[in-house]
Amino acid sequence: MAAAAGSASAGTIPVQQLRAGDHAFAGYGDDEAGRDVVAAYAWAGLANHEKVMVFAAPQLTEGEVWRRLDAPGPLLGAARDRGQLVVSSMRALIHPARSFTPRRQWQRIQEETDRALAEGYRGLRTYIDMHWVGDLDADIAVMMYRESHAEHLFTDRLYTEICAYDSRCFSPDVLAAMHRAHPCRLLPHLGALHTEHAADVVRLVGEADIATREQFTAAVREGLARSAEARRLTVDLSRVSFLSAACSVDLLRLATSAAHDLIEVRCRSAVARILRRADADHIPNLLISEVSP
Amino acid sequence: MTAPAPDDRPAAPSLLDCPFVQGDLPRLRVLVDRYADREGLPEPRRWDFVVAVDAVASNAIEHAEGGGTLVLERADGHLACHIHGSGPGFTADAVPQEMPGADEHAAGRGLWLASLITDHLTVSTGADGSVVSLTMRLPRTST
Repeated sequence: MAAAAGSASAGTIPVQQLRAGDHAFAGYGDDEAGRDVVAAYAWAGLANHEKVMVFAAPQLTEGEVWRRLDAPGPLLGAARDRGQLVVSSMRALIHPARSFTPRRQWQRIQEETDRALAEGYRGLRTYIDMHWVGDLDADIAVMMYRESHAEHLFTDRLYTEICAYDSRCFSPDVLAAMHRAHPCRLLPHLGALHTEHAADVVRLVGEADIATREQFTAAVREGLARSAEARRLTVDLSRVSFLSAACSVDLLRLATSAAHDLIEVRCRSAVARILRRADADHIPNLLISEVSP
Repeated sequence: MTAPAPDDRPAAPSLLDCPFVQGDLPRLRVLVDRYADREGLPEPRRWDFVVAVDAVASNAIEHAEGGGTLVLERADGHLACHIHGSGPGFTADAVPQEMPGADEHAAGRGLWLASLITDHLTVSTGADGSVVSLTMRLPRTST
């Protein structure tokens, strides 16, 4: 489920589809909601032989951060001991500077990226909890300038960054502006399913499983109803990071019973493979179009 | 729960040994994917494996008192996932041997699909419930 490096991601995506070189916005509204996001992000980075630095919320103890990143079993192995996985703070990153400036932070990120490469890693990925803004008493406008003018950090696709905003600590205007300033936005937690409807297109983003199955089938039904007159519907699953066996079967059953002339399912090859094993090729009005990850 | 040991040889330490309920599934899927990658199971079979594990775990949630225990281990050149659940509906009968009809419950078709996309799916039933074991052969070159 790890995304490959390539062109930059855009729009709303699950953390599992984040690519090397992405600059992503993440929002959370309670202390538990985003913990799986940072863990999955860190684990994927370690698997991809990247160095991972987590700049957690300053109010968390280092022990609490490590517990959030931990995984049962030997997955993390010696990553912490060998320095591949690092927990730090924005205060420590910009040291000895005492106040935040975009220039100083960019300089340090570039230095850390170069250091990661020199250490033999493929690149650097950071998770930055934006609580640092209050901790350093930084100017919100300066922070927003930094977020909106950081493209140069990502051009060679060796650096990946998630900026995580606690919605309880930033105004709606700031959150909306930062949402727009990032090329891609992450779903708020693992297991989430996001639905977008357009003319004769239903796009699903995230995970369709036992918890979101009703939402998944309702979205496809609504897409079929909206496109009943046109008799053509595109079901875009290209940003689905998980499609359960039961949801795969549900999709084929809905297609079988629809009166549409054409239902095009856009999906990655792994999803297409499962659908074909479930006999999708014998549904006359169903076309599976494989898309690149 | 103790993972079954092949023959008389000592079992390798489990990669995962976790009780689970529905809310744990997204994180468990990521972990199973990561461990399968670590053990050398390539795409697209890794995706198949995660889909099959999820189908069986979801069946345990629906029919075995809301959850179960998942054990992931590597043994004899295979990656094996054993899902234990106790409940009246979590039995060998839950896995159809042939493709169920389109009008039958989708969960049954999901389990049938799980059996189709893994190398082996077996169900053993004992006094304390059932264990569904999913197995994928690892490439010979993986260590």
